[in-house]
Amino acid sequence: MHIRAKALATSLIAASLITTTLAARADQLDDIKKKGELVVGVLGTDEPNSFIDPKTREIVGYEVDLASAVAKKLGVKLTLKQLAVAARIPELQQGRVDLLAASLTHNKEREQVIDFSLTSFVTGQKVLVRKDSGITQLSQLGGKKVVTIKGGTQEPNIRKAVPGVDVVTFETGPQAFQALQQGKGVGFVNDEVSLIDDYAKLGPQQKDYAILPQNISVEPLALGIRKGEKTLKAAVDGTLRELEKSGDAEKLFFKWYGPGSRLKFPSRSFKIESDKVES
Amino acid sequence: MFDVSLVLSGQFRGWLLSGFVTSLQLTGLTLVLALPLATALALLRLAPSGVLRWLGFGLVEGVRSVPLLVHLLFWYFGAAELLPGPARQWLYAHDAEAACAVVALTLYTAAFMSEDIRSGIRAVPATQLEAGRALGFGFLATMRRVVLPQALHITVPPLISQTLNLWKNTSVATVIGTAELMYQAQKVETASFRGFETFVVATVAYLAVSLVITALAAAYHHRYPPRTA
Repeated sequence: MHIRAKALATSLIAASLITTTLAARADQLDDIKKKGELVVGVLGTDEPNSFIDPKTREIVGYEVDLASAVAKKLGVKLTLKQLAVAARIPELQQGRVDLLAASLTHNKEREQVIDFSLTSFVTGQKVLVRKDSGITQLSQLGGKKVVTIKGGTQEPNIRKAVPGVDVVTFETGPQAFQALQQGKGVGFVNDEVSLIDDYAKLGPQQKDYAILPQNISVEPLALGIRKGEKTLKAAVDGTLRELEKSGDAEKLFFKWYGPGSRLKFPSRSFKIESDKVES
Repeated sequence: MFDVSLVLSGQFRGWLLSGFVTSLQLTGLTLVLALPLATALALLRLAPSGVLRWLGFGLVEGVRSVPLLVHLLFWYFGAAELLPGPARQWLYAHDAEAACAVVALTLYTAAFMSEDIRSGIRAVPATQLEAGRALGFGFLATMRRVVLPQALHITVPPLISQTLNLWKNTSVATVIGTAELMYQAQKVETASFRGFETFVVATVAYLAVSLVITALAAAYHHRYPPRTA
């Protein structure tokens, strides 16, 4: 009897500890303000969203600027944490990062496990091919080997777009791109903006490569927020709305994607205004 | 919430199963290639010629001192590029990911196994080698006919232990896109958002095969107990 009572007491203490921990974490925004730090998961390998500036060795980019606007708005320090593509959602769910600014596609499937901010960028997904493969359209990729990044939407999207395609995945974009250059696949599937950037890096070898015109999907990118963190989402969305209203969002777009950048987008085809996606 | 059946049905089961089979194949093929190579390396390190001994030492220590991950990236992204054009194209048109994984795993495993075999050889009294030489056998013939049969018998338990390491090491090949169990598990996780269940299944699979290998070691030990020479 005594032992049972003790066991009961122990489990009660354990249970109350768990509930207090949960209660303490009930509002993430409060926690962030309390610790004075916003931990944001980024890729750091995906120019120009987040990448390492070769001169300063710091992670910079379009999404980094968005994240730092959020941190500034909350009045806390911004800490960046570099993540692999496949690790993004698990790291967010387990609370090791507060936000994701990691070239994250917002889709209906993922809405079941995490929440998203307003759409902060829209890109299509395409395929960069080697010209020596003779491939000029998507359908010719059937039975051919393409490379891409593990854990993103690229692999499911290309499988859907081209049934029977053989996909090999790597940890990072640069690794997959290198595999393409070495001829380990005929095509590299990625977000169009990343492909344009990689293509620009090819320099004189550009003549041997081409980006297939067809989109395999349209990808609305957004910041990722842990499920149910309503106040944090409101704060993030509020910051993004202000950036849009003040014209800073447009400035940021042109800073990283505009004619002066490697990507040379002549105009901006979207506005930061909605957190709804079609698929 | 916890529901393993989700990742064990339909397409997901197929992916995990194919990954499991690939992992087993990687282990089997690597083992078959690594054993003779390990024996050769061990003999190099015990060779009568000093140059050969140094060569063996350099190879074993060079390979053992570098992480497996680096070996894999080197063979896949680096060494494969040095092949002559037609051979390279042939390789890339086939399963270059698995081939490079086998090469890296073979060298890595052989380096470790060679040290086990070498200690097995050294456990055979030196008089055996001397007796063989005195009977007119050369170094290699004495090794093959007299020393190695005794040495390999002693070496089986540590070699089984290295096989266990090899089985687990195949999982590192996921970084070069080899479609083994870990690679397929990550693929299932991405598609199903069932990370916990997926990795529970993968863990059970790794554990099951590991236990079989351990049981083999125990059975061998029971059937052929170690004897002092």
